This record gives sequence, structure tokens and C-alpha cells, in this order.
Amino acid sequence: METTLSSAEIQPRQVANKSKKKALLDAIRMTLDVQSAAVRHNTQTFNRNRYAATALLDDYDELKDRARQIKESALANLPELLRRLEASVQANGGHFYLAKTADGANQYIRDVLVRHQAKRVVKGKSITSEEIKLNHAIEAAGIAVAETDLAEFILQVADEQPSHIIAPALHYSRERITALFKRKFTTDLPLDTGEELTRFAREKLREQFIAADAGISGANLIAADSGSLMLVESEGNIRMTMTLPSLHIAIAGIEKVVPSRTDFGTFLELLPASATGQPLTSYVSILHPPLQAPPFVAPGGTAKPREFHLVLIDNGRSRMREDPVLHEALYCIRCSACLNSCANFETVGGHAFGGETYSGGIGGSWEAGTGTLMNARFSELCTACSRCVPQCPVRIDIPWLNENLRQRMNQEQPPSAAKSAFGAMTGSAAQDRVAPLQKQFFGNYHTFGKWGARFASLANASMQLPGARGLMESALGVDRRRKLPPFPKKTWEQLFREERGVKPGAIDPGVVMLADVFTNYGAPERGMAAIRVLRAVGLDVTLSPAMADGRAAMSQGMMETAQRQARALAPVLKRYADEGKKIVVLEPSVLAMLRFDFKHLLDDPGTQALLAQNSFEPLEVLWGLAQELQLDLGQIFPASKCPQGTRLFYHSHCQQKTCNSATQTIEVLRAAGFDVVTSSVECCGMAGSFGYKREYYELSMAVGEDLFAQVRRAEEEGGPRTLVASGTSCHEQLSAGLGREVFHPAELLAGTL
Amino acid sequence: MPSLMVLESSSVLQFAEAAVKAVATVEVIERSPLALRDAIRHAVGNVARILFASPRELPIALFSEFLNDARVVANPTPDQMVHSAAGVTEAFAGVASTGSVCIDVSYQRTGLVSLLAPLQIAVVAAETIVPRPRDLFRADMLDGKGLRRDFVFVTGPSATADMGPLVRGVHGPHKLHIIVLR
Repeated sequence: METTLSSAEIQPRQVANKSKKKALLDAIRMTLDVQSAAVRHNTQTFNRNRYAATALLDDYDELKDRARQIKESALANLPELLRRLEASVQANGGHFYLAKTADGANQYIRDVLVRHQAKRVVKGKSITSEEIKLNHAIEAAGIAVAETDLAEFILQVADEQPSHIIAPALHYSRERITALFKRKFTTDLPLDTGEELTRFAREKLREQFIAADAGISGANLIAADSGSLMLVESEGNIRMTMTLPSLHIAIAGIEKVVPSRTDFGTFLELLPASATGQPLTSYVSILHPPLQAPPFVAPGGTAKPREFHLVLIDNGRSRMREDPVLHEALYCIRCSACLNSCANFETVGGHAFGGETYSGGIGGSWEAGTGTLMNARFSELCTACSRCVPQCPVRIDIPWLNENLRQRMNQEQPPSAAKSAFGAMTGSAAQDRVAPLQKQFFGNYHTFGKWGARFASLANASMQLPGARGLMESALGVDRRRKLPPFPKKTWEQLFREERGVKPGAIDPGVVMLADVFTNYGAPERGMAAIRVLRAVGLDVTLSPAMADGRAAMSQGMMETAQRQARALAPVLKRYADEGKKIVVLEPSVLAMLRFDFKHLLDDPGTQALLAQNSFEPLEVLWGLAQELQLDLGQIFPASKCPQGTRLFYHSHCQQKTCNSATQTIEVLRAAGFDVVTSSVECCGMAGSFGYKREYYELSMAVGEDLFAQVRRAEEEGGPRTLVASGTSCHEQLSAGLGREVFHPAELLAGTL
Repeated sequence: MPSLMVLESSSVLQFAEAAVKAVATVEVIERSPLALRDAIRHAVGNVARILFASPRELPIALFSEFLNDARVVANPTPDQMVHSAAGVTEAFAGVASTGSVCIDVSYQRTGLVSLLAPLQIAVVAAETIVPRPRDLFRADMLDGKGLRRDFVFVTGPSATADMGPLVRGVHGPHKLHIIVLR
């Protein structure tokens, strides 16, 4: 029997490697109990500031396009760029070393330090040096290393791995830092404010800077044409590291190389805006070392000429470059926008949602690329909510990376007769039948929907049987505290077919609603409400046959199944689009499939573009039409007639936000006369199947707590409100957290007719 | 001095506003040795020692009155380098949108003087203020100096949020005062 440690006893280092699932689950417990408040506060502050800062960049989208282009072409021409860079560094009088492995880099750096007779090294923040475990290598040679970035200093004192790509100790509250320093240092200072802690660390580190024989820094970007480095910071320690000692060693991954110093101009404002949300950080250094200015000579020391080494590290990156999926991760400029906009990351941080070095949505690909695949297990915490996608300054489709990692990890699982039979019966493609039962259950939700609807009363009754939930939990990993939506007596398709006396709409060519599996088998009346609303403005509405769209399968890493489903659905929808019909999708996660994800799954880019351009949410269509035809929505849908009242709390779905279709819903509701307060969280925490899974229930509810608190606050300030949401999972989460009924906007509008 | 500010060009005004937002202090003065001496004297207050790095762009004569101040150390010992309260350097460029000043770090002691003392004073000529940070990487701005030099964009004093709340004054200067020469 493995002993279960209490969360306070779990050391972050012990759970850094998550190749065993227990480490991931222990890490989630530990971070929820110990770190969550600090992580939430810090990441959400970064997130708010990033929205504000990027809004001030008048050419934000163009900068993102340019940054992406520069990285794409740099990676494509990398061997040539590395040759040019080597020549540039040497022409400047520096040394260039390309290390194939972490050990190779460590050995080279150690040799340089030993040759230089260095005893004390100061270091600027470098996550790449964490990746290669440089400090261990240097200390093993009897050389002292001082981390001078205050966050890295905290980690060095605490012996912990980073929890965030740019703010590696952001899981520490001020109170916990005070406690840590009091434990580790003998001092009479009270150390109970940020100022005192900073002064204490500064004085300690100032001595190190003065006495240092060598400085080791990272680099944010490196220009091949001139051997120039760009380094972004706010504390001033990187400047000191690079300019005080006579020996400067800069280390970076090979992916940091761009063609020319002029390229820095594209990243200069984009990086800090995306990172901390500042127009620029306090210091952005642009250098092509060795510097011409003399180094600092300590009192009583002797002057040495400056020496510079650029150590570039491969350590798996060349393999990533050849990888059809992981190569995208090399475009990453390490701004952390994907971490800060991720609801799961905001709740647990990188000690749970991260590995030995890299964390967050992008972290799994880096751990897999520079280490082992199974250490990317934490990327399961990516729910593919997609909030990171529009935030990424180089437009990396991070959920796609994680879904592919999931597929690869599924493939590492041993096959079993049970999984194979279960998969064959429920609709998994052959390749996906090695996936765990739980994944195949959620990935094939449409099959269960079909069965459940056929035998609704039996299926629903069986879930009420004693022990049924326990069985679902032990066999399929569905948390017993969650209620799977009951199967309806009639599906949306059936209700639609049985309608009588519908008059044809006046507007040609009308629209087709996609009978998505979640609405068809989970909430058919919601679908019918949407149809009534669209008809009320004169639209003719057809319903497409209920077919799986690939979302559920893709989220479980069942890529072959997802691809098969997408390729079956696309031609069906294409026929409607060819007739000029708009495709209307009620479930935002399915809309996002058509708009974004089909590009990975279809082999015909023409069809993909057609579907992406012609698919909409119902209220998006309604708002467009109201603008075009000058409709008075307040007259068509008078809010005063709504049985649920006019005061609403509206939570938009994560993928709906990414589709930019949430604002139209709010506009329609307001135009109809509703008083709407909105949530500001990125995601409710349910995120499709994620919150149903037994092992993630607590995390899912902890994420939801931000949303629940916003509802409570709104109601404390101005009285009760009707809960409204557009996504199926948001409905489940809100009703689980607040114990109340939740409505779709279309249901409220239909109620006014 | 709002009444005087009316006279300033829009780029200087934008620069000053952005620099203040980044928690620097800014003043715009007439380009003369006496005005510069008075401005620096006022900014440093009664500190015991002032580090000074010779300018590369501005005429040294502009600093002649200031250099008469006995507290100025032009050739500091290592000990003086790390124990002085203020450091004065030129900035070869300013950036209007961010309020940044660009300090050459490869020219003599400019980099160290701008970094080691708690109070940093940067002197920048109004005509070297460019619209945006990215303009430093254009060959047609400031004769392409930004493409050749080793420099640092300095935006406000050094800062950290690593110890919990935001703290200004970490390893680098705690205060940045910018003097713009009209």
C-alpha cells in the first residue's frame, strides 16, 4: 500500500515528474491546499493586465502575424541561421558553442568556468538552465551559484522547481516567503513586508554581484546577423549579470534565433504586453557581447578582459522541429499568456499543471520534446477550452498540441480485450481502442446518447438504482457527485419531426441548425426553443441529422475517431452551405469545431473554410439580422413577458468567447430589454467531460468557485438574478455549484413569444 | 509646470506622460549648462556623492557647470561605484509611447553608472525622442544607432512583484529622474 501524505507534507520536487499519475493527483491536492490563493491572485492580475496592454497596441493582430512569420521562417532556415550566428558571434570576438545535449552544455559551461578560475557565479533567470539542471553541474565542480532573480532566489532557498514560465515563484504568497526566509536565514529583521523582503534579498545578492567571477544569463531572442541578444527583465539583475563580471555566458535554446536585429522590433512590445501586461518592462537590453565597456573590478581585485560565450542548446529541439505536431511549440516566445488565461492553471499553477521545468498549456509539449512523453501527463489538465489560443502572440494552437500528446500517451497504454471490445461497441476507431475506458466513454458520448434516448426510461431508471453511480465511478471514472444529464424521452430530431403546422419562413434561403449530440440527446427542448426564436424573426429553419462532430473524441485524444467523425459530418453540412444556408450551432464547443478545429481534421481546406465562414451561434445570426433589417428586438421578444424575469446573470462559454460570439448574445438580450450582468472568468471549470472525471472533480469545483462567487457578489449587490449560460457544461457546473436551474438565452427569448 | 508644457512638442508631452505612468519623474529644461546644473542639483538633493559618465552624443560643455559640483566623481574607485547615491548619464534616445530612455551600455562607464546607484538621472535631447520602441530598430531613425549599439531601454525604476506586492527599487535604481533638453 502506498501511503497517502497530507497535502502539507508533499514537497513540490517530489511531484515534479508526473510520469506516474499519482504524482499528478498528489500535486493537485497539494497546490489546491497550499498554493492556490497566491497562484490565482498573481495569474489573474497578469491576465487582466495583458488584456489592457494588448488593447493599447493598435496593430496587435499584425504584430502577431509578423511574429509568427518570423518564427516560422527562422525555424525553417534554422541550420543556415545557426551558421550565420556562429560567424557573427566570432566576428564580435565571442565564442559560440552548439550543445546537442544537456550534458554537453553543462560540460562546456563548467569547463569555461574552471578555465576562468571562477569561484562564484551570478545567474539571471533562465528556464533553459533549469531544463538542463545547470546549477547541479556547476556546483559539482565546487563553484558557487547565486540565483539573482528574486523569484529564482526564493526557489533556490526552498529547493523547488519553477511554477510559472516567467514568474517562477508566483505560487509563494508574501507570508510564505517570510516564513521560508525566517526558517532558512538567521536574522532579527521582521521581514514582514514586500519592501523588507526585497531589501534583505538585494543586500545579500549585492555582495554576490560584487564578488562574482562570472555571470550566466539566458536570452529572449538572438539575432543571427549580428550576434545580438534581447533580454527582458524588471529587477536589473540580468543587466548586472551581463555587465559586472568579466566573463559572460549566455545560454538559450536553438529556437530563440531569429534572422536579424531588426526582427527584435516586432517582439519588443508584443512580448511584455503578452507577458506581464506592461508596455515595456523596466529593462530591455539589446547587446552584441562582448561589451566594449570595462567590467566592474571588485575592491582589491584585478582587471581582466571581457570574455563572452554563447551556448545554444538542442536537447531534443531538432527532433521537435521534425515532429509534425510538436514543431509548433518551438515558436513559443515564453510570454506565459497561455498560463495566465487558463482557468485550471489559475487555480493550481505549474506545480500541478507542469513538469520538472515547463508548465501550463504549452508546457506539455516542451516536457515531451526535451524529456519524456509521460512526464507530459500533466497536460491532461488542458481541457481544450481554447482561451489561450487568441492570447498567444505567435498563434500556437495549444489545445491541438495537448490533444495530440494525449493521443500519444493513449498509444503508450497496453491494449486489453476489455478496452478493445468496449471501443468496438461504442464507436472508437481501431487505433483509439487502446485508450482507457474512461476516455473511450467520454469520447463516444454520442453512442451512449443514442442508446440512452432509445431506452430513455430504462436508462434513466437504471442510473437511479442503488449502486449505479458507484459503478459508473469505479468502471468509468465518472465522479459520483456529478449527475450525468438524464436522457430525454424524445430527441431533438424527434421533436422537430413531430412538429405540425409550421409556416415557412419569409427569409430565403433560411438556416440549418446542426443537431449537435449534446443538445440532441441532452437538452432537446433547448434546441426547439432556439428554433422558435429564429422563426420569430422570419427565418426558415431546417434541422440537420444528429451526427457526432469529433469534439468529444478529440478531447480524449482519440484523434482517429475524431477525424472519421469530422469527415463524415463535413460533406453533410457542406450541402447546406452550398445552398447558401447559414449553419447554426447551439453548442459553442461544436461551433468551435467548425470554425477552428476542422482545419486539423479535414483534408479539404476548401470545405473547412466554407464551414468556418458559414457557421454561427443562433443569437449571433439573430443580432446580424436585427442590424441588417432594423428589427426592434424589444418588440419581438419583450423581456417583460419572460417568465424567468428580466434580471439575468449571463456566463459565456469559453469556446464561445474564442469564437467572438458572446457579445452578440449579450447585445440581443439587452436589446430585448433584459438587465444583464456578465461573468468575467475564462472558463467555468467543467469544460466538457473534465469536471465529470472522478480524479478532477475537486479541481473542477475549485475553478468554478470564481464563477459562483461572481454570481453571489452580483446578487448581494442587487438582488436575485436568473442564471443564463450558452454551453451545456456551463449549465451543469452552475447548477452543481449554486443548486439552481440555469437557462439558455434562447429559452428566455422563446419564453417571451 | 502645466503652463510651460503648452510650449512642448507633442512627442515630448507624450513621452513625459508615459514616463510618469512608468513611475519616473520628468522635467523639460532649456538646453544650457546652468539650467542643467540646477536641474541635476535639485534632483539629487543633498547626497554625498554623484557618479557621472561622460556623454557620447551631447557636448561635454553642457555639463561644465554641473561638473564644478565637488560631489561629482568622474573616475570612481570600485568602492565609490557601489556606494554612491546618484548616477548621471546621457540617454541617446527616448521613446514617446513608453516613456523609455535608451542608455548606451558599451560606452565607458555609462552602463554601470546608470545601474548601480539608487537614484538614476538620465539626460535626453528632445529631438532624439522617437515615437515607438520598435523605431530603434529602423535604419532611418537616429542614423540607425539602435541597430549597432549595445543599449538598454530603461522604463521607470527597477521593480519586482516576486516578494508578493509590487516593490520599486530592486537590484537597479529605486528612482528614475529624466531631464529632457528642449
